Parts: sequence; C-alpha cells; structure tokens
Amino acid sequence: MKTLLEVDNVSISFDGFKAIKNLSFSIGYNELQAIIGPNGAGKTTFMDIITGQTKPDNGHILWGEKSIDLIRKTESEIALLGIGRKFQKPTVFENKTIIDNLILSQKKNRNPFKVLFQKNTKSELTSIKKILKDINLYMIKDRIAGEISHGQKQWLEIGMLLSQNPKLMLIDEPAAGMTPTERNQTVSILKNIAKSSSIIVVEHDMEFVRNLNCRVTVLNEGSILSSGSIDFITQNEKVIEVYLGR
Amino acid sequence: MITDMNKSVKKHSLIFLITIFLFTLLVTFLSEPFGINFISTSFVKVLGKTLCLCIAAIAMDVVWGYCGILSLGHFAFFGLGGYMIGMWLMYERTSIIVLNSLDDSQLPFTEIELQEAIGNQIFGVVGGTEIPLIWTFADNLYFQIIFVILIPGLIAFIFGWLAFRSRVTGVYLSILTQAMTLALSLYLFQNDSGLRGNNGLSGLQNIPHLENLSQSTISILFLWLSSIGLIFSFVIFNYIIQSKFGSVITAIRDNETRLRFFGYNVEIYKLFIFVITAIITGLAGAIYYPQAGIINPAEIAPIASIYLAVWVAIGGRGKLYGAILGAASVSLLSSWFTGGNAPNIPLGFFTIEWVNWWTVFLGIGFVAITIFSKGGLIGMLNTLLVKIK
Repeated sequence: MKTLLEVDNVSISFDGFKAIKNLSFSIGYNELQAIIGPNGAGKTTFMDIITGQTKPDNGHILWGEKSIDLIRKTESEIALLGIGRKFQKPTVFENKTIIDNLILSQKKNRNPFKVLFQKNTKSELTSIKKILKDINLYMIKDRIAGEISHGQKQWLEIGMLLSQNPKLMLIDEPAAGMTPTERNQTVSILKNIAKSSSIIVVEHDMEFVRNLNCRVTVLNEGSILSSGSIDFITQNEKVIEVYLGR
Repeated sequence: MITDMNKSVKKHSLIFLITIFLFTLLVTFLSEPFGINFISTSFVKVLGKTLCLCIAAIAMDVVWGYCGILSLGHFAFFGLGGYMIGMWLMYERTSIIVLNSLDDSQLPFTEIELQEAIGNQIFGVVGGTEIPLIWTFADNLYFQIIFVILIPGLIAFIFGWLAFRSRVTGVYLSILTQAMTLALSLYLFQNDSGLRGNNGLSGLQNIPHLENLSQSTISILFLWLSSIGLIFSFVIFNYIIQSKFGSVITAIRDNETRLRFFGYNVEIYKLFIFVITAIITGLAGAIYYPQAGIINPAEIAPIASIYLAVWVAIGGRGKLYGAILGAASVSLLSSWFTGGNAPNIPLGFFTIEWVNWWTVFLGIGFVAITIFSKGGLIGMLNTLLVKIK
C-alpha cells in the first residue's frame, strides 16, 4: 500500500513535559485507522502536530507522493494540501445554517478575490444535497447550526469534512454524546467515507472501534504501546494494564 | 446565503437606498439656494457631515460587527483622508490668493518668489516658509484624491499585515489600533510634521475655483456628494457581506481557529477587510472636512475612534443600517446637546448643563442599551415591529 502520510520520529514537550516521544506512524491511501489511549496519552497533540496547530521540537511529517514536509506549513496550507479535521468537541459555525456551514467548507478556490465573486453551481449544490442526505440532516438544512443536538453537530462537522473533500481526515471522538443507534450510523458513515479517502479516528469507546474493524494503534504517555488488529491489541498484556484494565 | 433571507435583505437595502435619496432631495428643497429656505446652511452642513460619519460607521460595523476586529483606530483613516484633500484645498486657495496679490504689485515675480510666498502664507504659523516634501503634489487635485485612497490604504495594509501575521487578536489588537491612532495624532501635533502642527489645516470650506458659488450652494453640493458616498459604500459593503466572502468573515469572527482547518488563510481575509474599510473611511473623511472647514490632530485622538465604536454598538452591531442609525442619532443628538440648544435643567441646588452633562447621559444610554438590547437600537426596533405584527 502506498503511503499517504508518514510521521517520522516526532517529539514535542511542553515546559519539560514530553507530550509526544519519538513517535512514528504512517497511513496509506484510502486506509482507515483508529487510535486509542488513556487521557493524556497525546492523542489530541498528535492531531495538532499533523494539522500544523503545534510545531514539534524535532521529526518530520511527510505528505503524499512528493513527500512534502508539513512541519513548516501553516494550518490553512496543510488543509489545502488535503488534510481535514474534526474536533473532539463538535465545532461548527453556530450562527450559520447547516447548509451554509457546508458551503463554507466546500472544496473551492480560497483566494479572497475569487471568493468575493464565487457562486454555487448546480452540480456543487447537488453534491451538498447528497452530503446532507448522507449525514441525515437534509430535512433540517436551513436550521441554524447552534440549535441542533450534540449528535447532529457531530454529523454536521463530519459533513463539513466531506464537503471539504480531503485526502485524509483526522476525526477526534466522533461518537461522543451519541445514542447507540447514532453510533452505528456513524460507523457506517465513516466506513463509507473510507472508500474514497483515508481516515484516522481517535476514540475511547472500544465497541465503536471494534465495529470499525481496522488497524488500531494504542498510544500511552506519548509513544506507541502497540499496534495491530483489535483482537491483537486487546490480547496485549501492556495494553490491558494501562488502558483496558483487568 | 441561498435562503429566503436574501430576498428580504435585498428589499431592506433597496428601501434604505431610496430613503437616503429622498432624504437628500427633501433637504435640498428645504434649503436656501434650491428651495424654500427652511433649513439653514449650517444645518445642511451638519447633515452632510452626519452622512459622512455614517459611512465611517458602516465601515466600522463591517470590520467589527462582521469580521470581529474591534479596531479603535479607524478614525485615524478618516482624519488622514481629510488631511490629504485638505492639502489641495489649502494649497490651491493660497496659491490663487498669492497670485492675485502678486499681480497687483506690477513687478514681475519668479517661480521661487511665488513658492516662498505660498509657503509663508501656509507655514508662517509654524515658523517656516519652505513647503515640505509631502506637499509636492498638493497643487494637483487628482494626485491628492489618489492619496486619499492610497495613504489610509497603505497604512492599514502595513499595520494590518504586521498585526494579523503575528496573530494578534482581541483586546490586544484593539490596544494596538488605539496606539496607532494616538501615535499618528501625536506626530501630527508636532510643528515640523509638515501639516501645520496643532493648527491643522483650515479654511477648507472655501473650495478653490468655486469662488463664485455661495457657501449655501456648496453645502448642498457636498450634501449630495456625502449622500452618494453613503449609497456607494453601502452598496459595496452590502455586496461583500452578502457574498460568500461575508460568510467567511463572520466565520472568522465566530471561530477563526476552526476556519483555518478548512484551508482559509484567515490573515489575508482580515487584511482585505481592514484595508477596504480604511479606504472607505478615508474617502468619507475627504468629504467630511471640506464641510467642517478645519482639520487638526485632535480630530484623530483615540477618543474619536472610540466614539465610532460606541455609535455602532448603540445602533446595532452586525446590521449595516444599525450602524447608520447609531451614528446619525448619536452624532446629531451630540451636536444638539453640545451646541447649547438643549434647555438646562435647574434642580434648585444644582443645574444640569447639557454641554457638560451630555457625555454622562450618552454613557448611561450606552450602558443601558448594551445591557437591555443586544442588537442595539435596531434590535429594539425589530422586536417592536415583530410585536406589532
């Protein structure tokens, strides 16, 4: 499998505390991977580093066929290269309608002078309608995003990622605050997305991760404890000790 | 953006533009030179100036209410626009006067003598006769009009580029903008700044080459110019905020960090808004000061920019006509109260003199509106209208 993203020996410390220690990780095209780990294991910091919000002390992050180093890029440049992100707390634009949120994130020229004159073409609106149906929000597309439920916001944010159409999506706790039915729907949405783009999911819920049926990496204290199929890692003594409990 | 909102916004904007047009027409018919002489020339000037302040207010609303940048320095751009046009007005008028007097003296004069005479007339008050370098193009109206756009735009660009690139936001950015206008005002207060120090530029109400027109006619001309300026800037800003660009800048206001991860270069957008609002504010200043007649560095002291923010907050942030309502009502009330027109209130032991107490009254009003109506005056009006319906 060709590598899409390669995190090579990355470390970062905050005020002497080593949040990430010599971490290496890679993901291929159209691959789905999950990351689990206890609180403070460095999962969110790991995402911050990939998306350019935090600069690591050393190491490299190589992207795509041309192996572009993402370390020196800004958040928006990295996003334009094709990395999308969903935050742990669903972060949508609460004063805008659901459909306006999707239009805002839609993959298009971001040059301010172009944006000033951008109109939505029919095919773009059709693709947005399709996304609205995929995330079960079509019926309420004109509602203000601040008014919808927590679970719906999670979906809207995933929908915004779909609309952004990145090559890689980093998804932080997509199932938080969802009912069991909503969780199952989320699993099928994610599996569906993974057909055309790569996904890294960070999640606490083991049942959810099991349903994703993908490679799982366990993080602990800033480094990788174990990596493999869900059955493999749940057998691992160290993983049981620090994360699963006996 | 693509919802029914669009239609009602379009309708409101059209109503607004027609109102401004009819208002200007009405004032013209009530004025001395073109109508029944019901409104005095000085009041026509007050109205024209108010329209210019409205332009500055909608620019402030776009930068603050829509983009979330609380600039406490936008009045500096207003003043700079005034200075740029003031240089031509003063130079041209002085040169006409000097030429006339030299003609009377019958002796032939050289170009150097002419320059010296003009320099003496303009800069004698700050103890100089030489015309400073920055006045090089002051004899050319077109150049100075270009400067009206260029100078505020350039200063906003440099300032914005430095501030936004370093990701200075919130209160810190407000303080920086305040420092910018204070620094500029202090610089202009100096006699060797080349702009006549604390004397500022004066006699701007006398428009060169229009000597045959009376002040009352000129006041109507400028009223129309101000009104066209307001309509022009309203149309531009309204287009921006209704476009996808507008959706981007409100997203910056609400959560710029999130927006970055969708690939938007937030700094460029902020810079664009900062510069375009600075340019429009500068143009408004260039129409304002010929009506005011005088500009001096005190005009761009930090307090002026704070007033601008207060008008927008009182009128209603995030609605263009809210900003206009706020600027118009507060500045007209202010000139009424401070003009000594308001009757003093004797309380027996104490008399409330409005000239002094107006700011206290304004402060209380500001606090009350901020507490009781989030949407400002326009928010109150909307709630009232909904209740009536």
